[in-house]
Amino acid sequence: MATTTTPAPSAQKRYRTLAVVKQESVTRIERQLEESVFVWPHLLVREFLAAVLMTIVLTLLSIFIAAPLHVRFNPNFPPPAVEKAPWYFLGLQELLHYFPPTLAGVLLPGWMLIGLAAIPYIDNNPSRAYADRKLAITLFTMFIVFNVVIIIIGSFFRGGGWVWTWPWVGEFFNL
Amino acid sequence: MSEQKEQRGAVDKFSHSIKSSQIWRSIFRHGYPDTPLNQSLIMMGNVFLHLHPVKMSKQALKVTYTWCLGGISFFLFLVLTITGVFLMFYYVPASSLAYTDVQSMSTTIAFGEIVRNMHRWAAHLMVITVSLHMIRVFYHGAYKPPREFNWVIGVVLFLLTLLLSFTGYLLPWDEIGVIAIQVGSAMASFAPIVGAAMHRTLIGGLEQSPTGNTLIRFYTLHVLFLPLVAAVMMAVHFWRIRKDGGAAGPPPPSIREEAIKEEEIKKELILSR
Repeated sequence: MATTTTPAPSAQKRYRTLAVVKQESVTRIERQLEESVFVWPHLLVREFLAAVLMTIVLTLLSIFIAAPLHVRFNPNFPPPAVEKAPWYFLGLQELLHYFPPTLAGVLLPGWMLIGLAAIPYIDNNPSRAYADRKLAITLFTMFIVFNVVIIIIGSFFRGGGWVWTWPWVGEFFNL
Repeated sequence: MSEQKEQRGAVDKFSHSIKSSQIWRSIFRHGYPDTPLNQSLIMMGNVFLHLHPVKMSKQALKVTYTWCLGGISFFLFLVLTITGVFLMFYYVPASSLAYTDVQSMSTTIAFGEIVRNMHRWAAHLMVITVSLHMIRVFYHGAYKPPREFNWVIGVVLFLLTLLLSFTGYLLPWDEIGVIAIQVGSAMASFAPIVGAAMHRTLIGGLEQSPTGNTLIRFYTLHVLFLPLVAAVMMAVHFWRIRKDGGAAGPPPPSIREEAIKEEEIKKELILSR
């Protein structure tokens, strides 16, 4: 129906946006309503208990283990036997032992981060079930195991000059 | 007996007069959240709680589903902020003072040692919990639509966590910290094209090992820049969780398992005929 008359300004209805409901979200909400619970108190009590537990763990750790403080840095003193980065970078330092620095120190970690961020856009498999995601789970597990192994090697199996050193021969790990 | 009743009546009257006072009602706009209406109102009206939805799926609530890893990471960030502010009162980021300032935490400053310990261990724990949270989310496939971009923000938050920990490592100005930052910064210098500039920016000069300039750069990054960026990213991260319908919940059965189930139902239907 086409109208040629424009209503007077006073007659124009004013609209307020109360909600924008997408088709997809409607189905999601409908599914949730069947077996949903109130966040207060059900989730909040769990979060509170987790926070309390964490506080206890952290307090006990801090009472019994002192944070390390080594000798004051002096540029005129000879450097320590082994020069190590913080533990979460020791995997990269281990790679630095095998590959040229541009590859191991910059390109590989950069690719790893970009690769991680790109996972949702590469993995087009719509299913979330474990049995349907064998390839994705296998590849990711390999990635995690690889990183954990090189971090452990860099942390506990490398001594002065990055020479392989068994942990019982010499400890070169700092937190 | 009647005395007790009278007393209780007085307490009730007193608490009622407080709760109906203008001051109380200006702070709390609804009653205690023990009714569905008040349980909804508190989640929608409280600025701290509104990042949570009002209701959530029962399955996603299970502690053994999320292991609270994201929440614990955020809690550790809060602990690090509080303990970090405490440490800032006593720490001067100058290469001549930093070491003795940190030393005095364990000698002269009340609660200095335990607060520094908490800051240190919470930082290491946060790197671990953030990593575990990411691994957990991957295995549950919770990065799949509509949560793709929230995964990307999560990767950025993971990187920020590492950088926060890394920049803090230098601040005690002890041998291990300075050497660690020297090794880490040296890696940046190998970046193609921008390597030299990146190294100069991090170290704050042309020297190979960290100087006082490096210390003030890492300090500012550590206490101001990176926490601010992380806080903004966290706000987006949490908001998007809520907008995407809360935690994804445990993965559904696989396509094959569903097909088998359907087959069984069909068989039963045929048999019952």
